[in-house]
Amino acid sequence: MSVSPRGPADAAFAEFAAFAAAVPALPWFTAVGTPLTATVIAAAETYVVALGLAPCPVAPVGGWREAAAVTQRPDWSRDWWQAENANEQALRRQGAGRFGLEPLLAALTALTDISVGLHECAAAALAGAGLADAALAKVAAGAAAQACHQRGLALLAGDGAGRAFTAKFELFAAGRWPLGIVGGTCFVF
Amino acid sequence: MSATAAAPIKSVDALKAAPDEYRMAVRKIVRSHAVNELYGARVYDEPAIALAPTPYLKWLTCRIAMEEYGHHVRFRQLGEQIGIPESEMTPEGRKPLSIFEFPLTTWEEFCVVKLLADLAEIIQVEDLMKCSFLPLRNLAKVTMPEEIFHSQFGKDTCTELIKTEDGRKKVQAAIDRYFPMMPAFFGKKDSANNALYRKYGIKQRTNEDMRADFLKRVRDLVEGHLKLKLPEVAEAA
Repeated sequence: MSVSPRGPADAAFAEFAAFAAAVPALPWFTAVGTPLTATVIAAAETYVVALGLAPCPVAPVGGWREAAAVTQRPDWSRDWWQAENANEQALRRQGAGRFGLEPLLAALTALTDISVGLHECAAAALAGAGLADAALAKVAAGAAAQACHQRGLALLAGDGAGRAFTAKFELFAAGRWPLGIVGGTCFVF
Repeated sequence: MSATAAAPIKSVDALKAAPDEYRMAVRKIVRSHAVNELYGARVYDEPAIALAPTPYLKWLTCRIAMEEYGHHVRFRQLGEQIGIPESEMTPEGRKPLSIFEFPLTTWEEFCVVKLLADLAEIIQVEDLMKCSFLPLRNLAKVTMPEEIFHSQFGKDTCTELIKTEDGRKKVQAAIDRYFPMMPAFFGKKDSANNALYRKYGIKQRTNEDMRADFLKRVRDLVEGHLKLKLPEVAEAA
């Protein structure tokens, strides 16, 4: 039996449920290491600017080892991480204001349960590259789960909020892994 | 059917026919794991994401937090199947263990928590892998690889941190403060609960045996591998 949305809450949670249901079928990590397309570069630029950060160059990352090295460089941007955190907090307040904190957290918990399975996608992509690195698979899975959580928050906050997280999720949904801003460059694997 | 180590209880349905004290004992263990896995994720793993020094370690910690939460979910699901009220399987409904009273303020402390507490958890889960209640035994088997990874994470990160003098001091300081809380994790000597668990093969070892095993293994790890010192503590709880 299908139930038609009766109000903003029903519509928002229906959209959220559709998003969550689509997560396992996305081509996670399948395009990592390939040349960056104009669409991917545009999404990365939108992501950076929508976080409220100054525009910066977007650069590719050629392989898993290089990706691991980039994410461990000491010159990663604290402003980038803090901007993500600030955006998350704003979206959480907005979403909780719309629907109440408990329904918001329940929906996000269900999404987290789904995103647990992304570890297999990361491990498979690593295996496809001839690598067996349990820790790196978990790092990639953690980043993907975080992106799902952020996109979910943006959906529940509504009104086109969370443009940065929408752009970031587009990169993951295209089989990429945005590695963040390191040394003044936004790296996309 | 009576429950002994030789006659395992094979399913949740079969548990219904087990003696009352067997069912109560299984519930106690499942409830404890459900509560403490959730509380550990809340007070240590989630806050540690902010403390992690690089994006690599932040995302890895994020994943570890999800796995610890996932352990709670697995124990809670088993708990629901055997009739434990959901309200009793959260820290709000049941008091968590004292090892979670350690206030986490630095990355080094988190790495030491994973080094010590996850080794202690491995010893508990190893014991449950021979449990006479097979659904709990199977759950322990599924959980074990992640517990091993978390413990290895503690070892690897502490090994990395002690490469600098400052890091070495911070890891030693965290061990000095956290390790004294660990022996009590294994329960009291001559515990009536533990005797009951062993009577039915739910657990195999005494609290003292497991504590002694932990102390031996943690000494090898801290003094043998890391070349740091374990503080003297009372070994009996």
